[in-house]
Amino acid sequence: MTTDKRSWVRPVVAIAVSAVFFIPLYYVLVNVFKRGDLISTEPSALPLPPTLKNISAVLTRPDGLYWVSLTNSIVVTLLSILVLTVLSAMLGHYLARSQKRWTKALTMVLLAGLMIPPQVILIPITDVLRATHLMATLQGLVLFNVGYYVPFGVFVFSGFIRGVPVELEEAALLDGANRMQVFWRIVFPLLKPATASVLIFLGVWIWNDFIDPLIILGPSQGTTVTTGIYRSIGQYQADLGSVFALMFLATLPVLIFYLALQKQFVKGLTGGATKG
Amino acid sequence: MTAPTPERAEEGKSPTRRRRKPILPRVWHFASFGAPGVLIYLCFVMAPILISFGYSLTNYNPFNPPTKFVGLENYKNLFSDETFLTALWVTTVLTLIVVIVPNVLGLGIALLLDKKGWLYNALRTVFFTPVILSSVVVSIIWQKLLDDQGPINQVLRALGVDHPPGWLSDPDIALYSVASIVCWQMLGFCVVVYLAGLQGVPTELLEAAEIDGAGPWRRFRAVTWPLLAPSLTINTVVMLISAFKTYDYVKVITNGGPGSGTTATIAFNVLATGLDANHAGYASAMAVVMLVIVAVVTTIVLQFLRRREVDL
Repeated sequence: MTTDKRSWVRPVVAIAVSAVFFIPLYYVLVNVFKRGDLISTEPSALPLPPTLKNISAVLTRPDGLYWVSLTNSIVVTLLSILVLTVLSAMLGHYLARSQKRWTKALTMVLLAGLMIPPQVILIPITDVLRATHLMATLQGLVLFNVGYYVPFGVFVFSGFIRGVPVELEEAALLDGANRMQVFWRIVFPLLKPATASVLIFLGVWIWNDFIDPLIILGPSQGTTVTTGIYRSIGQYQADLGSVFALMFLATLPVLIFYLALQKQFVKGLTGGATKG
Repeated sequence: MTAPTPERAEEGKSPTRRRRKPILPRVWHFASFGAPGVLIYLCFVMAPILISFGYSLTNYNPFNPPTKFVGLENYKNLFSDETFLTALWVTTVLTLIVVIVPNVLGLGIALLLDKKGWLYNALRTVFFTPVILSSVVVSIIWQKLLDDQGPINQVLRALGVDHPPGWLSDPDIALYSVASIVCWQMLGFCVVVYLAGLQGVPTELLEAAEIDGAGPWRRFRAVTWPLLAPSLTINTVVMLISAFKTYDYVKVITNGGPGSGTTATIAFNVLATGLDANHAGYASAMAVVMLVIVAVVTTIVLQFLRRREVDL
């Protein structure tokens, strides 16, 4: 083959294309560690000497915006994904195992939820939440998240459950275990890849969500990291260093989460997507 | 296994018992496994859709009662409403760009990165990172980059361009800038899905085709591309749905402008009309139309792409 002579072409092209693609990320990274006045005058230069001033300014803000937002984001994200995993694993199991016609219809109704734009339901949701006194509360946001993302969880779990032999469950049922025990002790441990992709995907989506916390938590109450960034950008337009630092700090947890679980992430993406 | 378990022992006793027995557990099975998830889904997704539909037939405004039933008037008004028709156009352009560009570039980059080795693994991570970033963060990064005095225009000026484009301030360009930003964020998703698809292409088939004298382009057309059909389906549908939902970028970057509604999508207008201006009835009609468009277009595209998969 002639490829030996041209074997340098592919890596060079790949690196060049990736470098162009990476420019916006480079722009954030260098400016997080750059003195405020240099950000607008030499935005693309390396941060020399690097400074941690921007980061410490965000961490020590008198109103504690970062820490309040971080706590809210962590509480909402963790609660939502835990409840979502439990509910959608069990519902996915029920739907995958049941052969009834009405459960087929129910599956279709749930899958339709995968394409419903949040804007369609947000106006009535605010009325429902106001009526139940859940508007502007973290519980309200968690409940909304659970309802809105249950279809995705069910979609991933039921796909995997179809690959688990029914005989396994029947044998355990005959041995006297009840359905709950069978599910949590035998089936659920076999669903680790599905659980990983549900936790990872929903974790990232809910963490990054903007529109729902913006509207459900409202302007005055709590902020999450994304709504916190959105609000501070208006307030601190001049202080670009803080804006970049806030974005960096808000993204850091997700980035670490992603880099640590990269393999499962990509497996979940492709497995979950191609199985259903 | 042969020992009679309680259930089996009961089966033999009487026919009535045998018939009654499974019914209760089945109800219990649904109540414990299915109901909690279904209930929350019905309350927070299905009921609001029905309520939305109800609102759309009224002049509902929570801060301006009384609410009157107006029939289909909202829908009639929509189609003579300049703002809505512009939003329809904006959403169509945005959707076409976001479905086509990341798919084409994503396939190209996946082919480029479809090799083993640390370098290619690292570059995959580069492309995928924007996918896990919040769209708010992505919006702000690009808003700064594309500012009239921002780094991109500074570079252009340094290169001798006297009047670099107003990427986000020129009404003729802003929509394409926003669409490009969405493409930048979504590209990595397409790359990863295509890479996974490429791993499923058997090397024997490609080698066989090469022996038969097929060049690289022919091998791609005849072997690789048909086998990537499922990846194309996933990418197209995911891009389609996320393009229809586009809200965050518009809200953060341009707030619908510059000028009047040059970047305002339907999704943006629904919330601007319904929650900022409180015309919930009219906004609900917009939302219902949006839902119908999403459902119809997605179903048609999915049918078309799925049929293509089966044929091969």
